[in-house]
Amino acid sequence: MKNKEIPKGLRDFLPEEVKARRQMEQKALKLFRSYGYKEVRTPTLEYLDVIEAGTGRNSWEELYLFIDREGRILSLRPEMTVAIARLAATHLREAVYPQRLCYIANMFRHVQPQKAQYREFWQMGIELLGASGARADAEVISIAVEALHSLGLDNFKISLNQIEIFNSLLDDSGLPEREKKLVRQLVENKDLVELTRFLNNTKIDDGLKETIARLPVLHGGIEVLDQLGNGEKNRRAAQAGAELLKVYEDLKACGVQDHIVIDMGVLRGLDYYTGIVFEGYSSELGYGLLGGGRYDNLLNQYGFPCPATGFAIGMDRLALVLKEKEEEPVCYLVGGTDWELIVKKAQELREQGYTVEIDVQNCTREELTERVQIMDHYQLVFLDQTGDQMLGEKE
Amino acid sequence: MRNDYLTIALCKGNLLKPTLALLVAAGLPHEGVSADSRNLVFTFEDKAVKYLMCRPTDVPTYVEQGAADLGIVGKDVIVEQQKDVFELVDLGFGACRFVVAVPAALKDNRLKDLNYRRVATKFPRVAEEFFRSQGMQVQVIKLHGNIELAPIIGIADLIVDIVSTGRTLRENNLVALTTIMESTTRLISNRVSFRTKFDRIEPLVQVMQRIAKEGRDSEN
Repeated sequence: MKNKEIPKGLRDFLPEEVKARRQMEQKALKLFRSYGYKEVRTPTLEYLDVIEAGTGRNSWEELYLFIDREGRILSLRPEMTVAIARLAATHLREAVYPQRLCYIANMFRHVQPQKAQYREFWQMGIELLGASGARADAEVISIAVEALHSLGLDNFKISLNQIEIFNSLLDDSGLPEREKKLVRQLVENKDLVELTRFLNNTKIDDGLKETIARLPVLHGGIEVLDQLGNGEKNRRAAQAGAELLKVYEDLKACGVQDHIVIDMGVLRGLDYYTGIVFEGYSSELGYGLLGGGRYDNLLNQYGFPCPATGFAIGMDRLALVLKEKEEEPVCYLVGGTDWELIVKKAQELREQGYTVEIDVQNCTREELTERVQIMDHYQLVFLDQTGDQMLGEKE
Repeated sequence: MRNDYLTIALCKGNLLKPTLALLVAAGLPHEGVSADSRNLVFTFEDKAVKYLMCRPTDVPTYVEQGAADLGIVGKDVIVEQQKDVFELVDLGFGACRFVVAVPAALKDNRLKDLNYRRVATKFPRVAEEFFRSQGMQVQVIKLHGNIELAPIIGIADLIVDIVSTGRTLRENNLVALTTIMESTTRLISNRVSFRTKFDRIEPLVQVMQRIAKEGRDSEN
């Protein structure tokens, strides 16, 4: 039956799943709103030029590309931050900053589908535009922690880093751009074997070599900053380290430090990050749950210089680790012989806040009694000629 | 999977013996772990360690999916599968290399002379990428074993395979034309486990790095 297939990596959501998703969305939105974040929407399609201005020209094979009738190349959006940067640079130039924006949306990437990875996936996130400095980062990160909490997750960690530490050390190495890119990839993938081998074949100073080789395993409390070795000699790296410390201190004041670890190997794949970056993990899932960071140069790509920071939560992945289900509320099934009485009764119950289904098939009391027996949370109300109610008995 | 266990995927087969020696040297439990037993999961409750006995080609999958936190497996398997895992330690043992081999009659050819030929291999990705990087195009024929037979029975002109001593090649009248890459056994980790179980994994990485280094030093 070819005519029932759906494209690879996409999925249907059945009522139970949609309900769980809606609850997830509402909890997150409520939290975002309580911090002053306002929801925006952007088009599902963007021009490829717009996306490339933000993310660089390295992700073509993951994009769903089309050519529109005017001959321009369109892409299904692969992420949201770029779209929000464009939106702000277009519509919010005159606004009072900082601006706090949030979104819930579907994204599309042509990846190999597997558990926790779909070609259409959902994200919810926030962007804090127009504020630089540690406090802005701390606000965003503590909202990330609170969001996972409010969604019912306890056992999770947020890995925190300042990518300028890595970038400035790498600049010190004097390696050509192509090799820098390779080192970045090796650190990010924690390929310690290839990283050590590669560094040993370069002419980088030994101290620096050792520091770069250790970055991927510098992981723990804020004290890992002391193990930075060569980092202290490099002014930019030292500054970035100080900023990381500041953010960490500010997060303490937010009371979320128990969930924070420093991880010098977190670099985030995208080119636009400029400072503090972070990723969230739960021990119950082998994949990351959220990611974000500071991207102070991105809005300038759209002609509007403006510092910014934010994060996105992967909803499909989160759904895999959230097990608790809320109790299904009772639903009344109203049946009977007199249509007018049925409609009136149903309306009455709805006004009291109940969910009410009407029997639209003229079923007998016996038939309806049988039906509610197999549907757990249904309660039958059967009205006879005079309008007297007879509640269906449940076994 | 209980979360406080450290779960390690091990390869059945040739790698098991040196792997067990490594576990002993690293102070990990090992009593009764063997491939002879039908047991596929070994649990050491007191040490909170669990081993999964897997086919080598399944190890990266187990680790990527988080069914195992760590895995011990050859680079040859890792590079072919390109799973999203961290590669932490070069353990040194199980050394072998990927080679392009041809029937002895073709041994005087340069690689470039073999453009547009048919290549039989268990490692289509490695083969494809290698020839492409050489600016060549070949037809890759994926087989699941006895690759050396392919040129003999005429379904391929050359092969890409892993060799350790080279004996199998010689026995089948094949000659290695060029080496694509060297491979040894590696310790790999799930991306999230590395962070959530860092306190257990990091010391193990240190120990295994030391053991591997001692192994290399004693060889030199």
